Amino acid sequence: MSRSLLSFSAEFNDVNQEILLSGRMRPQTVQEMASAAEVIRRNLDGHSNTVYVNTRRLTHINMTAFNCIAEILSSACKADRQRKIVIVTSSVIAWSAPLFRTLASDEPNLLVEIYDSAFYPGQTFVEDESFIPILRTQTKMTWRHERGILGRHGLRDGLAIADICCGIGDFATLIKRHFNPTRLLALDHSRKSLEYARRVAADFGLTSIEYTYGDASQMLLADNQFDFVTCRHSLQIFDRPDVLLRELYRICKPGGRVYITNEKNSHCLGEPHSESIRWTYDQVARLFSHFDMDVEMGPKSRRLLTDAGFDAIQVETFMVTNLDGDPRDFANMIEAWENVYAGQMAVRRGDPPDFIRRFRQGFKDHVLAALHPKGYAGWPIWAASGRKPY
Amino acid sequence: MTGQYVSPKSAEFQDMAALTLDAALFACEFRLCDTIAEYLATIIGQSHEDPARYANFSSLLANEIVELAFRSVGPRGRIDFNLLKSDACVRMKVGFPLDKHGRDSWSAPAISSGSEGQQPAGNLIMMGQALGVTLSFDSSTDDRVTLIAEFILQEGIH
Ligand SMILES: C[S@@+](CC[C@H](N)C(=O)[O-])C[C@H]1O[C@@H](n2cnc3c(N)ncnc32)[C@H](O)[C@@H]1O
Repeated sequence: MSRSLLSFSAEFNDVNQEILLSGRMRPQTVQEMASAAEVIRRNLDGHSNTVYVNTRRLTHINMTAFNCIAEILSSACKADRQRKIVIVTSSVIAWSAPLFRTLASDEPNLLVEIYDSAFYPGQTFVEDESFIPILRTQTKMTWRHERGILGRHGLRDGLAIADICCGIGDFATLIKRHFNPTRLLALDHSRKSLEYARRVAADFGLTSIEYTYGDASQMLLADNQFDFVTCRHSLQIFDRPDVLLRELYRICKPGGRVYITNEKNSHCLGEPHSESIRWTYDQVARLFSHFDMDVEMGPKSRRLLTDAGFDAIQVETFMVTNLDGDPRDFANMIEAWENVYAGQMAVRRGDPPDFIRRFRQGFKDHVLAALHPKGYAGWPIWAASGRKPY
Repeated sequence: MTGQYVSPKSAEFQDMAALTLDAALFACEFRLCDTIAEYLATIIGQSHEDPARYANFSSLLANEIVELAFRSVGPRGRIDFNLLKSDACVRMKVGFPLDKHGRDSWSAPAISSGSEGQQPAGNLIMMGQALGVTLSFDSSTDDRVTLIAEFILQEGIH
């Protein structure tokens, strides 16, 4: 049986009232579309208001399949002009909106929408530009630890490497300079971060980093491509880290390793004012969890990697502190956190001013601890990796 | 066929990749269309700022061209896949022999007239227009046709 026969599907999701098309839809004949066509037809017929046809996970299509779908949609549009059919396309998959728009021009009750937000609950915060300085400082501070840690997790010169959810690309440029990879791909879903990343790489004269705009939970990358796949501080912002890990596993070569870093925010610490600091970071964990993000994920890394099918799992922790280089860097990072967490995030949750004042105080105390001549401030991180079995 | 784009002259193009297959071998394995299209699209993508995404974009049309060749190819001879590159564009050429039936349907008037879908390249033309990729056909020699797509690297994905 051909690969195309096996690798696409059509399903109906009752909750969202949507028909989900996914996979590589490249049948040789229209007969191979029969069961998918049946699902589409049946569910269009069964619904009279608005039906969504979600194509975000449809990565490939040929005209045999497209014509088949087009015919079904167009007769459904004509059969009931009151029913609205909305085709949801992905901004990552560049062909899908223009191709499906060819159908919309003939049918007034058929709409094409490009979907590029709400991948996960916290996306609006994380893709916001205000995150850029945070990411910069964080990477600068973590690198002095990770440079050595990465070697213990199997990173060495001459590997094919992917950094998924690369943010502004600082980590990729460091990898490029220190580990001389044969291939280096960096993927993110923030256009602003990628633009920034490309600019930084160009400034350093680094031309061979492949920056790609993509969705980490459905990457347009072939299976078994990379020796070392990194995903730093990002699993923790997805409500379904298992979906992401499945993709990281898929693109990793058998015998290669997937390396993840995550935090446990409630373990951030500082002296003096340890109580105020502890209270605030407990609240950070709760705030993120309100938006379905788990910034307490660090110690769960071993379980997550095991459940995703990895073996030879290694986990270690390190503490970024104010004594790593310039304490002002640490302080800047905390101020940036305060800005986003006690700013837009707490406000969005609807926190009262009293709470926000106390919440901010803990960050201010953490900054004070970082800059105090006898103070100590820390941010703990879990670095973990697993091998994809042969 | 689409837009006002003026194609760069052939002299400005440099060879990027070439693949030749026995026509009969190619014609008996539909799965090869997907494999070859992905292979070519991956190489096309390499010239773009965002290789993975452009490879996905170009693979749609590359696959349609390869499938069209699969459906039209005659049993004897060879099928050639070529990629050529200029500064702004990657040109994909697929040349293959036609059988008797193919010679009739690929004759010049049949391609330029008639409604889409009834002519062999109807679907491909429709897709090319939707995606803004310029297509052309060369069937000047009797028993061979060459399908040409021009992927302009600054267009298509934003
Ligand atoms: C907390 S940041 C970490 C960035 C970087 N790894 C670092 O350590 O500096 C999370 C990143 O994940 C990206 N991201 C979120 N959802 C994504 C998705 N579905 N696909 C790809 N990237 C995504 C965000 O744009 C953001 O850059």
